[in-house]
Amino acid sequence: MPKLEQFELKINTGAGGRADTPTYSINGFPVDFESCEGGTGSGESFRAIGMPQSFPHALLLIGPETGSWDIESVEATYECAGSDSYTVYLGAVTLDEETSLNIWHEPPVPAFDV
Amino acid sequence: MPTWFKKVFGSGAAKPVSPEPDVENVIPVEHPPSLEQPALGEPAPAEAQESEPGVRRVVHAPQIMPEEEQSSWSESIRIKARIDPDRTACTFLVDRPVLEKYSAWFPEPGQGTGASPLAEALFAVDGVGSVLIHDLTVRVTKEYTSPRSWEDLAHGIGAAIREHLIAGNPVVADSFLEGMPEEMTIGQRLQTCIDLEINPGIAAHSGVISLERVVGNTAYITMGGGCQGCAASTVTLRQGIHGAFRSAVPQVGAIYDETDHTAGTNPYFKEMPPEMMEDAVQSSD
Repeated sequence: MPKLEQFELKINTGAGGRADTPTYSINGFPVDFESCEGGTGSGESFRAIGMPQSFPHALLLIGPETGSWDIESVEATYECAGSDSYTVYLGAVTLDEETSLNIWHEPPVPAFDV
Repeated sequence: MPTWFKKVFGSGAAKPVSPEPDVENVIPVEHPPSLEQPALGEPAPAEAQESEPGVRRVVHAPQIMPEEEQSSWSESIRIKARIDPDRTACTFLVDRPVLEKYSAWFPEPGQGTGASPLAEALFAVDGVGSVLIHDLTVRVTKEYTSPRSWEDLAHGIGAAIREHLIAGNPVVADSFLEGMPEEMTIGQRLQTCIDLEINPGIAAHSGVISLERVVGNTAYITMGGGCQGCAASTVTLRQGIHGAFRSAVPQVGAIYDETDHTAGTNPYFKEMPPEMMEDAVQSSD
């Protein structure tokens, strides 16, 4: 498991948005994003940067305090110590007050065309 | 069957134990404290009451390919090879579905004869040990004695897959699907295997296996207790669970472990025992 220095999320919201500002948790500890842009209302795009500088046994995007949040897509870019940055693309998912989204993905195994 | 495996599965536990409840990975997240208003006439509390920490269920979103990388349906089939870190197997990612709904597992050359024209074509490539076909992937192991490197073998396998798909040849024969049990039947048989054979065997290591779901003939499991995060979990999966499942239901195809092993709090083995190292290298599917 590499040390995660920084990660960036670009989240597109679908039909149902959330009113509160998203936060994340690393290894069970809730943390505010270092910076946020955009919004999480219906049809909006949200960009946030987190700087955990730690080894992510668990990295979660916490759902809204109330109601539900329809996420259309997530583009997550990770910067880990000693390696090139990489990006993971996630599809649609709905979060609510009882759920969090796993946003930790190991660096991809190298692949080659055959 | 390796010695350590007999110790885990052969003798079984002294008494069967009930599997732990199927608890999804949860990470407790503390919520901010809330203020309680004192009842009329009651003194105000000395400090704010803290609410109980909330526990949220962890959900997973599907990984998708970015739009600019999606191939249009054309005769030029794009295939990427991804070699496992332990180099026991190689997964070929095809840019279009190879086998939908079901998965087809052929543990050795000859097994695919008559059942899967694609598997037959792959076994014709010198060095191919086993073949697993599911959705957009073809997963191949090498024959243990093959001197060929994966870099050398992968191009031949990729070419065979591409040639087969371009020709429009069937991936599996009709006979493969004939007699395939219903999903529910497969699930029931696998659950019985877990309850009567697997879980009693690994209970000695405080381990527990849960069958999450069956899709077609593909099984998805999670490993809990001492198995979660255990250094030997892969060997237990490949040599124990795979074998037990396929004995109980020969039509089972792919078997996927969805456990978050990084969240294991009490793994039985923190490091792979030396006696299991060779088994881990030899077995792979």
